[in-house]
Amino acid sequence: MASAGSISMTAAGVSVRLHPACRVRQEGFGLLFYDARGPRLLFAPTGNMLPRDYFDTVRLIDELPEGLSESQKSSLRKFTKQLVDKGYLREQ
Amino acid sequence: MSNKYVEMGMTAPVNLTWEVSLACNLRCTHCLSASGTPAKDEMTTAEALDLVEQLDEARVFQINFGGGEPFMRPDFEQILDACHEKGIMTCISTNGTLLTPELVKRLSRTRLVAIQVSMDGARRETCDSIRGNGVFDAAVEAVRLLAETRIPTSVNTVLIAQNANEIPAMHSMAESLGASLRVSRFRPSGRGADNWDSMHPSPAQLLEFSDWLAASGDVRTGDSFFSLTSQERQGLGLNLCGAAKLTCCVGPTGNMYPCAFLQIENFKAGSLRESSFQDIWDNSEIYKSFRSLRIYSCEGCSRFEQCHGGCPAVAYYLKNDLNGGDPECLERCVTSIADLHLAEAAA
Repeated sequence: MASAGSISMTAAGVSVRLHPACRVRQEGFGLLFYDARGPRLLFAPTGNMLPRDYFDTVRLIDELPEGLSESQKSSLRKFTKQLVDKGYLREQ
Repeated sequence: MSNKYVEMGMTAPVNLTWEVSLACNLRCTHCLSASGTPAKDEMTTAEALDLVEQLDEARVFQINFGGGEPFMRPDFEQILDACHEKGIMTCISTNGTLLTPELVKRLSRTRLVAIQVSMDGARRETCDSIRGNGVFDAAVEAVRLLAETRIPTSVNTVLIAQNANEIPAMHSMAESLGASLRVSRFRPSGRGADNWDSMHPSPAQLLEFSDWLAASGDVRTGDSFFSLTSQERQGLGLNLCGAAKLTCCVGPTGNMYPCAFLQIENFKAGSLRESSFQDIWDNSEIYKSFRSLRIYSCEGCSRFEQCHGGCPAVAYYLKNDLNGGDPECLERCVTSIADLHLAEAAA
């Protein structure tokens, strides 16, 4: 759940990783996130921009795969922050 | 729920119900699978462990174990361990009577398991009249044991005519035991079909429950009450039947079905003894027919976007028509009560 605390987590330089209660897999439209705490689903139309195992390891929140355009990077940064706010990613 | 993406087709179910055995030490009068004695030729341990491998490869997120009573199966903990080693989340639906402190301690070693303990009334008399003498006390003790651990625990109750007025009290009871409440829908399958007339909730009870549910955001219902839930609650769960789209069912002998309520030959999607899990999920004609199921008779309804015709299983059992729309949906409850009032006024 978004809160003042979780919003501050999204500052650049923060390391994040998939929450242990969450799983993700590749689907035709992009990534499908599952949160067992709800349970709830998040359908993310990311196409092939992010590999499904991208957040299995600790990442800097602004860190993105190589080879993306600036507009793709901008969309993914917003998306990553949403994942933190919604609890799918958590600060390490 | 993002129907657009669901309709594109999923590579695998999000979760599935796996009824590992029909064996059960109880004979609940509403049991959807008429459990008691094990099914003939239930899956072997090797077959069950192979299925876990296949579900991991398919990246199924969660397995909901049921039965029967899952703990009646001697190798059930072995199956669970295999799931957890793969990182697959599990949820066990149990009657609670076989949960010992030692077993609960072993289960609590992982953070990947959740447990639902079935109870069917806030009063001992109500619960035991449905589940058998002494079951209420055993289930309460099981929930107490589980609440001392970190295992997410819920009390799971089936809404029936006999306990409809006890649901708020069950909510309080679950809370006092340190558990959440999950309410499931009564469906006319298994012994539930035999006892449908005497146990199914009335339209007035369903409407009352619907109102209560709208005000009780922490009560879980899964997908079982989307035909009744308010618009505000839709954000908490599904608004369409997930059978063959987001979920499916594996029966005790390895047959696959769209959902746990349609485990009959007409709806057999395939056998894991003849085909792989992925092959059945991708290619079963039964699953394809569910994915293209349209409840045309409901499309003119103002609530269509909220329930998409409700539960096809209930429509099938009560009207022999998968496409017929859910006979117990909110609109039909309201209409049914209005018709009754008109008839009374005319008399």
